Amino acid sequence: MCLGIPAKVIEVDESKHGKIDYLGTKVKTNFYLLEDVKKGDWVIVHAGFAISKLNEEEAKETMDLIREYIDHPET
Amino acid sequence: MSQNKLRNRQVLRGLLTEIKSKAKSLNTPIKIMEVCGTHTMAIHRHGLKKLLEDSGIEMVSGPGCPVCITPNEIHEAAINLVTENNNFILTTFGDMTRVPTRKGSIQTIVPAAGSQVKIVYSPEESLEIARKNPEKEIIFFGVGFETTIPSIALTVKIAAEEKISNFSVLSALWLVPPPLNALVSAKDTKIQGFLYPGHVSAIIGEKPYYFIAEKFNIPGAIAGFEPGDILLALSSILDQKKTGKAEVANEYSRVVRADGNPTALRVMDDMLKVKDSLWRGLGLIPKSGLQFKSKYSAFNAEKKHSLKIEGGSGDLPGCRCGEVLPGKISPPQCELFGKKCNPDSPYGPCMVSFEGACLAYYKYQR
Repeated sequence: MCLGIPAKVIEVDESKHGKIDYLGTKVKTNFYLLEDVKKGDWVIVHAGFAISKLNEEEAKETMDLIREYIDHPET
Repeated sequence: MSQNKLRNRQVLRGLLTEIKSKAKSLNTPIKIMEVCGTHTMAIHRHGLKKLLEDSGIEMVSGPGCPVCITPNEIHEAAINLVTENNNFILTTFGDMTRVPTRKGSIQTIVPAAGSQVKIVYSPEESLEIARKNPEKEIIFFGVGFETTIPSIALTVKIAAEEKISNFSVLSALWLVPPPLNALVSAKDTKIQGFLYPGHVSAIIGEKPYYFIAEKFNIPGAIAGFEPGDILLALSSILDQKKTGKAEVANEYSRVVRADGNPTALRVMDDMLKVKDSLWRGLGLIPKSGLQFKSKYSAFNAEKKHSLKIEGGSGDLPGCRCGEVLPGKISPPQCELFGKKCNPDSPYGPCMVSFEGACLAYYKYQR
């Protein structure tokens, strides 16, 4: 029930309605819960509503942390 | 925005090795509750349950499945609405239609003349159905935690603004922190760490869990849903346990901000008020649910249709979902598990929901 999917915003109008691209499928989405959202942003969508914007910097940090385990897998 | 590395075998092996050594250094097995049903599914699907067990970490499923914790009396109220009233359309999320009660499930009942049951993906779809069917009365059976609550509240806000008069919500809205408080306050609690839900936390942030670290000194970490996310969070929990300094770590910061989603919190605050709520398996928990403020009574199905949600027939005899939800037993300890109760013919809600612990065990642990 709290399943959320990461998806890219492909369309958002003034009433904060629009669409996301999820694995090639365009899905109607309500963006009202996000203060600032634009085409090209990555968001988490739950039950037809975008609930959070993905922070690319933080995502990169997680990946950097993960990379350490690739470089030193058995330490 | 590739998340592939969070599933990379080599990465996961490295993380597991580290977790194993950290767990070993504690010199005693540790019991950690994954609060969220989506985490339960992810842990089982990726085979982490057994791997962690071998490392001395026992993962216990918590009450994080809204379909499961909604007591039968609310399901039965929904059934009554659509069987006793003509021209009603009951809309709800798919899992809700399969929960068995003594009156049957929403899926198996026979609606009254002109009435129907429709499955929706988004609460807003119910409004669309209301706009297209002005001669029908639409009831959205809306269930959810903080992840879903703002969307349900917003849908009512839109209905109020558009003055849509044939729409109301039968709500089962649950807050995550109060049951955690109930669980750790119990004298016999054995939970030594919490894997906090990712998407509930995207809405509420970190602060609502602070009391667990500060008052009870129980470690915890907010986690995403990739196996790498879960392992990073567990690693943090073990570190906290080792140092004896509990905190609320955020290992899902690409999605969860410290203060959550302020817009969503404002919507909730504007439209809803807290109430004491009855949870399946956990009983009455003070201030653990939400209801619409009186300003929105016209959209509250309970008020609009004078519903009485009490005195339901309770759990089905023999179903131990109520003991699975607080982590008292694991699903295979129920005598009905995998026999009378299975995904094709679920006997209890924990076998129905895609976040239910019984379904997770059935799919991945047998």
